[in-house]
Amino acid sequence: MATTARTQAQRISEQEKVQSKYGDIKREKKVSNSVTYFLLALGAAIVLVPFGWMISTSLTARDQLFVYPPQIIPNPVAWQNYLEAWNALPVSFTRFTANTLFITVLAMSAEILTCSLVAYGFARFRFPGRNIIFLIMLSTMMLPGVVTLVPQFIMWRELKLVDTYDPLVLGAWFAWGPSYIFLLRQFFMSIPREIEEAAIIDGANAFQIYWRIMLPLVKPALLAIAVLSFIGNWNNFLGPLIYLNTGEKYPMIMALKFFEQSLSKEAPLFHYMMAMSAMMALPLLVLYFLMQRNLIEGITVGAVKG
Amino acid sequence: MTDTGSWLGDYALTLSHWLLVAGAVAGAVLLTYFLLTKLGVKRESATGIALIMPWVLGFLIFSLFPFLASFYLSFTDYNILRPISLEKLPPLVGFRNYVYAFTEDPNFWPSIRLTLLNGAIGIPLGMAGSLFTAMLLARNVKGVGIWRTIYYLPAVLPAAAMALLWRWMFNPSNGLINTILSPVLWLFGWDKPGWFTDTNLVLPSYVIMGMWGIFGTTTVILLAGLKNIPSDLYEAATIDGAGKVGQFRNVTIPMLTPTLFYVLVTSMIASLQLFTVALFIQTPRSAGQFLNVYIWQQAFGAQKMGYASALAWILMVMTLILTLLVFRSSSLWIYYESEVRQEKPPGARKRGLFGGLRATQQASGAEGTVGGGH
Amino acid sequence: MKPRTFSTFSLMIAVIMLLTACGDSGTPATAPTNTAPAAAATQPGPAGATDVPATSAPSGNKTKVILTTWAGADEAKELQVVIDKVNASATDFEIVHQPNPADYYTKIQTMIAGNTAPDLMWLSQEYVANYADNGAVLDLTDMLGKMSDMPAAKLDDYYPGTLEVARYNGKLWGLPWIAAPVMLYYNVDAFQKAGINPPDESWTWDTFKDAAKKLTVKDASGNVTQYGTSFNGWPPVHMFIWQAGGEVLSADLKSSPIDSSEAVQGEQFYKDIVFSPDYAVPEAVIKEQGFGEMAKAGKVAMFFGGAADDLDYAHAKDPKNADLKIALVPKGPKSRTTFAYTAVTVASARTKNPEITTKALAALTDGIHHWKVLAPRKSLATVDVISASVPGKKDSAPIIIKAAEDMRGFRNVPRQAEWDTIFWESFQDLLYHDKGTAADLAKTARPKLEEVLPK
Repeated sequence: MATTARTQAQRISEQEKVQSKYGDIKREKKVSNSVTYFLLALGAAIVLVPFGWMISTSLTARDQLFVYPPQIIPNPVAWQNYLEAWNALPVSFTRFTANTLFITVLAMSAEILTCSLVAYGFARFRFPGRNIIFLIMLSTMMLPGVVTLVPQFIMWRELKLVDTYDPLVLGAWFAWGPSYIFLLRQFFMSIPREIEEAAIIDGANAFQIYWRIMLPLVKPALLAIAVLSFIGNWNNFLGPLIYLNTGEKYPMIMALKFFEQSLSKEAPLFHYMMAMSAMMALPLLVLYFLMQRNLIEGITVGAVKG
Repeated sequence: MTDTGSWLGDYALTLSHWLLVAGAVAGAVLLTYFLLTKLGVKRESATGIALIMPWVLGFLIFSLFPFLASFYLSFTDYNILRPISLEKLPPLVGFRNYVYAFTEDPNFWPSIRLTLLNGAIGIPLGMAGSLFTAMLLARNVKGVGIWRTIYYLPAVLPAAAMALLWRWMFNPSNGLINTILSPVLWLFGWDKPGWFTDTNLVLPSYVIMGMWGIFGTTTVILLAGLKNIPSDLYEAATIDGAGKVGQFRNVTIPMLTPTLFYVLVTSMIASLQLFTVALFIQTPRSAGQFLNVYIWQQAFGAQKMGYASALAWILMVMTLILTLLVFRSSSLWIYYESEVRQEKPPGARKRGLFGGLRATQQASGAEGTVGGGH
Repeated sequence: MKPRTFSTFSLMIAVIMLLTACGDSGTPATAPTNTAPAAAATQPGPAGATDVPATSAPSGNKTKVILTTWAGADEAKELQVVIDKVNASATDFEIVHQPNPADYYTKIQTMIAGNTAPDLMWLSQEYVANYADNGAVLDLTDMLGKMSDMPAAKLDDYYPGTLEVARYNGKLWGLPWIAAPVMLYYNVDAFQKAGINPPDESWTWDTFKDAAKKLTVKDASGNVTQYGTSFNGWPPVHMFIWQAGGEVLSADLKSSPIDSSEAVQGEQFYKDIVFSPDYAVPEAVIKEQGFGEMAKAGKVAMFFGGAADDLDYAHAKDPKNADLKIALVPKGPKSRTTFAYTAVTVASARTKNPEITTKALAALTDGIHHWKVLAPRKSLATVDVISASVPGKKDSAPIIIKAAEDMRGFRNVPRQAEWDTIFWESFQDLLYHDKGTAADLAKTARPKLEEVLPK
């Protein structure tokens, strides 16, 4: 982390030198700087205000929900909303959270393992048809998921695995996510071959090299993919919507829909929805703050490096 | 009802299957390797093929087979409630589903329209906004990291939460947006807009929400792209007497085209596959549905699995055509630095769809100093 | 992910690789082993065995019967009270409620398609024929016949028009748990101010129309301050067609005579009022202000609503709400037929133990009949039962009971959803928006409607 900061600082100072050399008038720069900061702050406000509104609504009492004008800071602050919403459904959110975590962890770990294995295969070994297969893999990214939805559903039904977590996690063992493979392949390719060659001379086999040498070297990328995959599985909706039927097995995202009460005559419980949305977002936000650097590297590497 | 015993039961079942499949996949990898080496294939090739086996199997089971099956189903009127088996396949009905979609279905064209327009308006606007923000951030502002963290936040918010949040903010009677707008509305004597509840405003509402949602991701990617432009190019341009506009036009944009291309392709595909967000927002029927949602409704709600499969195929062909167009046009406007450099991936001369794909690969850097070193 | 986790994984995989035969590739075809009822289903098992295999351990020897409904968080809590009572007195089953309020029908259809349908489910009347035709629901005719000692299984106690919605092809597929007849709600103050007598049994279509005109009040500048009535898509136009002696679906379900002279009479009456500013709230105003809010605010003098709506006691709860009372719907040229919003509980065709499921269905239905207004049974149509279910309905109860005598539901066909869409898009919508006369529109729409009827 320190290195990045330093290189950044260096780069900045270098660029500043360049700029001062070509003589921007200082005053103009000051003005344009303050305009820049103003615009950036405005953008940040646009991004942050909805988050604030979410928290505000989640703390609003039910009878204050539809009051006009809406209260920015709820009065009274209904802290109990969180507790109530957590237990408002026939199944407690404790179970929903556990389900979400279960699905996410299983799918994510299988995904990371197989995607990295496949990426390693694509990156380091020459075999007939490699490029064609790789392109086919990339083009599956363009396939709308709904095309395969119906037959896949029938497959899982014939296996009698509908209403289990299986359809949501087992597929991950088959290197779900072409984009992850693509990304990891880029990372593998950037590793100098000499490192492996030394190991080959030492008599290590391909799996040992992959496991002991390559994986540790692409750890930052693995972390990035872990975060992306965690977010993706945590938020997966179409899967649970189709494959899970029992309330107790639902992940949080399905439970959120319960507060909508569409066929009941009751109005949507927005205060509960916002409270539980916040709860659902919380782990992701924490993860994001912890793993930011890796994540941002992960999402940018596909687009820019080179 | 929520006794821990049943929890663990549910989990244990899947966990055991999960481990079993892991073993099966590992077994398939090893088996491939041994078979191939027995057959006299070179060790390197055998290892490579064995390593990509998980994906190959997944492709065959979860993509290719369902893909063909769905093609078949799209020519039937299979009802979801009826059982299906190999002996009793639903009968073919010819092109009826396709004809119905294009000529009769009153919801088809509004759905196509909503899906396409949302992308056609939202993506360029989003990209322009993101580019602007990224350029602001690239101006050596203090605390780039903090700004970037803030701007990326919406991308971390679950899509469902985002949809609920915006539906709530767009609430016509006392939503945050209309409250903020109320002085303006009062000034012009306008009524409060209905946003998601007004047929004519559904599209703009989605565009606004979508921009908020993807804005950050695109900004972060473009910022990285901007930082990647060597500063000596700007120096050279300045020496050549180029002004700010000239620099932007002759250095920034050309150097950024591969990144812009990547962003364009990924957001295009994403916007054609919008689903979760739309399912958490109720809009008037006449405004149309996003195609993915409409397909899901037809398959599982209206019981028309055959028709839904046909719609899915229409969506896929549409995606392919659009992607193809973008890739085809890419050679006209994308500047590849690496084309002048070295190390072209094999076969890069061929163009077309795959050539274009290769271009993205290239854009994302076959060499570079990624990984490990940071 | 920490390195240690990785090595755990590697260990796991190594172990599995050792355990698994090399040839064993592909997905496991093993059936779930822990879901005992599924296993029980594959055994032939004597139908109606009272000694159910003790598979569902937590509930002793009671068979678990899964019920799925559209109840939202609040309604589910009330329903749970009902279910707890039913379960307490049951010896051989235990109903477990699994609400699915969001996208309800899509969800249960997905469940049916996935062979994981719940044992019991709520259906609105329009779906019964469709589900029955597709073999998704259980034929209850014989089994209910054997259970006539259970109060909700006594079929002759039901209002005939409500039980009819649960029948298709001469068989009974479910039991109605609610039948809320359409009532006329009126604003007491508005009537007093206008000097009009409250609606009573003497009211006909003409009386209603005159009153609606008189009750539309404008201020000096021509703005409407109070609307006479509203036909905000409710009641369905079907009701007026029936009142005129017409039908939208013939009894044999083979034709849709919406262009008969009787039907056209009803359609025309509806059209004349629906969005006419002389009588009713215009479409744009409803959209803008929301009908429910307008009614509670006293901006509409009289309107149609279900007997179960809370509008007639909203004033008692909160005096800010308009004082609304309930009356019979006006009488049409032939009858005072009123539409009953009816919903039924059906059983899955794949339920493991049909007999016990049916028993649970009957017991549950009786429980719900003491919770919802109006229970579709004659013996429960008393002021006492109604006010015990919903205390606020006490004053309205006698009139609701009176209305119940004339109530009926829709006739339904397997492709009802398509039929309804055509009816709406090719007829009703055009009619309301003045795209032609009732007779002409009905004539063009009829063949389209009949195309989706059973052949």
